[in-house]
Order: sequence, then C-alpha cells, then structure tokens
Amino acid sequence: MSQALTAFLRHIRSLPGLLPQLSETIELRARQVLSTPDIYRIRQIILTGSGDSRIAAESAAPALHAWTGLPVQAMGAMDAARYLTMGMKKNSERLRGSLVVCVSHSGEAARVVEAAQRTRAAGAQTLALTANPDSRVGRAAANVLALSVQDAGAVPGTSSYCASLLGLYLLGLRIAEVRLCISMDTANALRGALTQLQAPMAHAIEVCEEPLAARAQAWAHCPVADILGSGPGAGAAAYSAAKLIEAVGIHAVSQDIEEFFHLNYFVADPMEVPTMVFAGARSAGSSRARELCGILQDLGRPFLLLTDDAAFGPPEHSLVLPVVPEWLSPLLAVIPATLLAALWADRSGADYFRGHSGRWRASQSGALVRGGGLDTASEEDDE
Amino acid sequence: MNAYTLATDRNGLFDITPQVLAALQESGITEGLLLVSIPHTTAAVTVVSHWDPLGLEDIDDEIRRLVPTRVDFKHQADTPQDAAGHVKAAIVGHSRTFCVNKGELVLGSSQKIFFWEFDGPRHRTFHTQVIGK
Repeated sequence: MSQALTAFLRHIRSLPGLLPQLSETIELRARQVLSTPDIYRIRQIILTGSGDSRIAAESAAPALHAWTGLPVQAMGAMDAARYLTMGMKKNSERLRGSLVVCVSHSGEAARVVEAAQRTRAAGAQTLALTANPDSRVGRAAANVLALSVQDAGAVPGTSSYCASLLGLYLLGLRIAEVRLCISMDTANALRGALTQLQAPMAHAIEVCEEPLAARAQAWAHCPVADILGSGPGAGAAAYSAAKLIEAVGIHAVSQDIEEFFHLNYFVADPMEVPTMVFAGARSAGSSRARELCGILQDLGRPFLLLTDDAAFGPPEHSLVLPVVPEWLSPLLAVIPATLLAALWADRSGADYFRGHSGRWRASQSGALVRGGGLDTASEEDDE
Repeated sequence: MNAYTLATDRNGLFDITPQVLAALQESGITEGLLLVSIPHTTAAVTVVSHWDPLGLEDIDDEIRRLVPTRVDFKHQADTPQDAAGHVKAAIVGHSRTFCVNKGELVLGSSQKIFFWEFDGPRHRTFHTQVIGK
C-alpha cells in the first residue's frame, strides 16, 4: 500500500469521529452569526463557492429550501461574482433581502472573494463560511461562520467538505428555526441526526472498502467515468466526480439522473465508461434511478449503484449503504466517494493533483484559484 | 410525585385536569394540597373556564396581544417565539396549588386545569405532588 493511499485512508477513517465535535462547534457559532432581525430580512438565500465549496452548496441547497421555505439557489462563484449583479445600477441595492453565503475553506478563493464584495455592494447580506475568518473572503463578508477544521494535508479535500456541508446545514436549521418554519424540537432532532451520522459513516467504511477496491482494480484502465444522482444525490455525484478528477486524474463527469437519459446515454464505447449512481430506495428520484439501472445494463456499462436497500437494484451492481434521511445522503456519500478515489488512484499509480508538477505546476499552493485579478469594477452607472 | 408527558401540537391551552384528578386518586390523600408544576420556561399552568372553547382562544389571543412575538427581543439564542414564551411563562407562572378536601380536588364547576403552551409544538412534561393525610 502506497504512502499516499495510507494517508488518504487514515483521513477517511477519521471522518466519523470528527463529525460530533465539528457539529457541536459549528452549531454554537451558527446560533450567533446572524441576529434575529437579520434572519427575518432574508427573502432568498444564495449559496456560492468554487470546487468542493460549490458542490457543498449544491448538496445542501435542497435541505435548506425544504426547511426554510425560502428560495435557495446554489451557484458557482463566477456566476455570483460576475453575473448575479450584471446590469444592476451602482448602489441600486437590488440584492437587498438576499443572504449570500460565500463558502471557501481557505477563504482565499479569488472568485469567492469577488462574490462577497460585489453582492455586498449590491445590498445583499453576506456571510463567509470559512476555516479562516481573517482571510480575504472572511474580511469581504459582513459576517463569518468559522468552521474550525484542520487542513488534511496533501489529500483531496474531505474533512473540509464535510465541515462546509455541516456549516450550511446548521445555518439552514438556524434560519428555519428562528423564522418558525420548524419547531425547536424538530430543529434539535435534525441537529441530532447530523451528529448521529457518525455510526452510519463508520459502518459505510466497513461495507465499502472491499467492493470498492474490486471496482477500482477493474476500472483502473478507464480514462473516463460518469457519476449520477439527483437532488441531494446530485451533490454526492458531483463530489465523487471531483475526487476522481483530483485523485486519479480521469475525466469524471457528474450528471443528473434525468439528464443522463438525454445526454450521457449517447456516449460511445459504453463498456469503457464506469458509472456510479447515488440513489436511495426511498429518495424522491428512486423510480427514475431504477429505470436507469435497466438502461445501464442494456448499454453494457460497468456500473455500481450506491443505495440503501439490497432489493432496490440489481444485486451484482449494488453497494448497500446504511439508511439515512435523503437530505443527509451527501455527507454519507463522502465515504464511498473518497474510498473509490483513493483506491482507484492507488491501482492506477496516479499522483494526487498530478503532483502539482510538470504541466500542472501552475496549481502549486493553490495559485490557480487564489491568484488572478479581482474584478471589483462597479456595475452599470448609466441609465 | 407523578410525571406526565404531553406533545403539544400548537400554542394554546391543553386540559390536564383528568391526569391531575387521577394523580390525586392514586395518592390516597383525602385532606391536603396538590401541586401541579412544570419544568419549562416557555409554558405555564393556569385555571380557566372550560365551558366555551372560544373562551380558551380568547385567553391565548390576549396574552399574544400583551406579549407579541417580535424580532427585537434581546434574547436571541433561540427563536422569537421562544423569547416571547419566556416572558409569557414568567407572567403566568410555572405552578398552581389546589386544596384537597374529602378526597376531592377543590375546583369550581367552571374550573379546569390547563397546560399553557407558548412555544409549541414541543414535547412537554408536567408533574403533580400531593401532600396531606
């Protein structure tokens, strides 16, 4: 076993134990980060970030919408920075009533800094979700919810993603509770469900390692992969694809299950396109996921269904995870997503992030995402 | 002491007289005092006429008028409804004491004992304690 695999596996195995402590710390801060009047001013929530942070936003958005009843939109930092305010007049305050949550673990992602600066200038309430409150994102936003999670080192982002997800969930619960959309009892039960995810995550590690090692071995020669899911499962799929890109270097693509039938279905050489599907047996998209399994079999695609009921999909293609509420599935999905990435990279001899060397040397020290000019130009001044 | 649980599905008044009478009967006390107490700070115990259900709504409406739920309470650790609930509970009180005479609870014909929820729905508890002979 390589040193890289050992380090990544150690990190993955530490996640269940990290959850209760992280959850408790973030919950206390989420309770204080926005005042009650601020929470009642919110008319829509925009969650933004780049990379894992954007994926965390996409993963959490359905839950935040369900709890708060507010319009909740997840968007990439480029959209939030450059296009959300496009065409707005200077000082028009067109984003008044919007809460823009800017997610960045380092707090230094340039486009997220821009998003915080420009949406705040347009009248939005801005909140930075970051492990580094003194960072540029932390300083650009009006409020900071600090995540307090250690950098995992040279492995693809894992605990940082979990912390971002937890932060978004706990912020959403706080907003929903204060706006009386859910009772305090319900909010506390949901918070409890977050911390109680420790046991299912530990169980998922046990059941996943062996079958995913076999898949990694079988798929190690493949240069592409499709990862599919819907709703919160779309976030899980996006995260899994991201880890395969970072750890293995293959062209992994995440796609919504419905969109697969319109697009990815037509990809040539299906037998060379490993496909993972995230779909709980009782998820809102389950009927379509079941139909998808039949189609994948017809195509001859090598595929694995990550589900929570052995009777849901074809047994030879199913990996059964513990049952959790659908809105929690992105957190649980971190386990199979990272395990597959770690094992696949080991089997194919890939260096994480291509070692940030050779053709990829420009990515050293996060230069590609932290650097680059900030566009703080004012918006339209003219009629 | 007896403890009872109650799942409130709203704010307002919940008749707990049957449980209190049962507690008295179970105690065997014929002369003394019965205490009803709740271990909450956003709920209260009171005595109200039970004849007209709309009268119960009047009472709850009136305390909402006196202490409206608003967003500028200084207590912001929980919700605005919780903050208002603390004030209402402090005004109404968390316990009531009743006389026991000849094995009966001394209540007028219109009187019933109500658990008053100010921050529902919640899972709640109330206690009874009977002393005497």
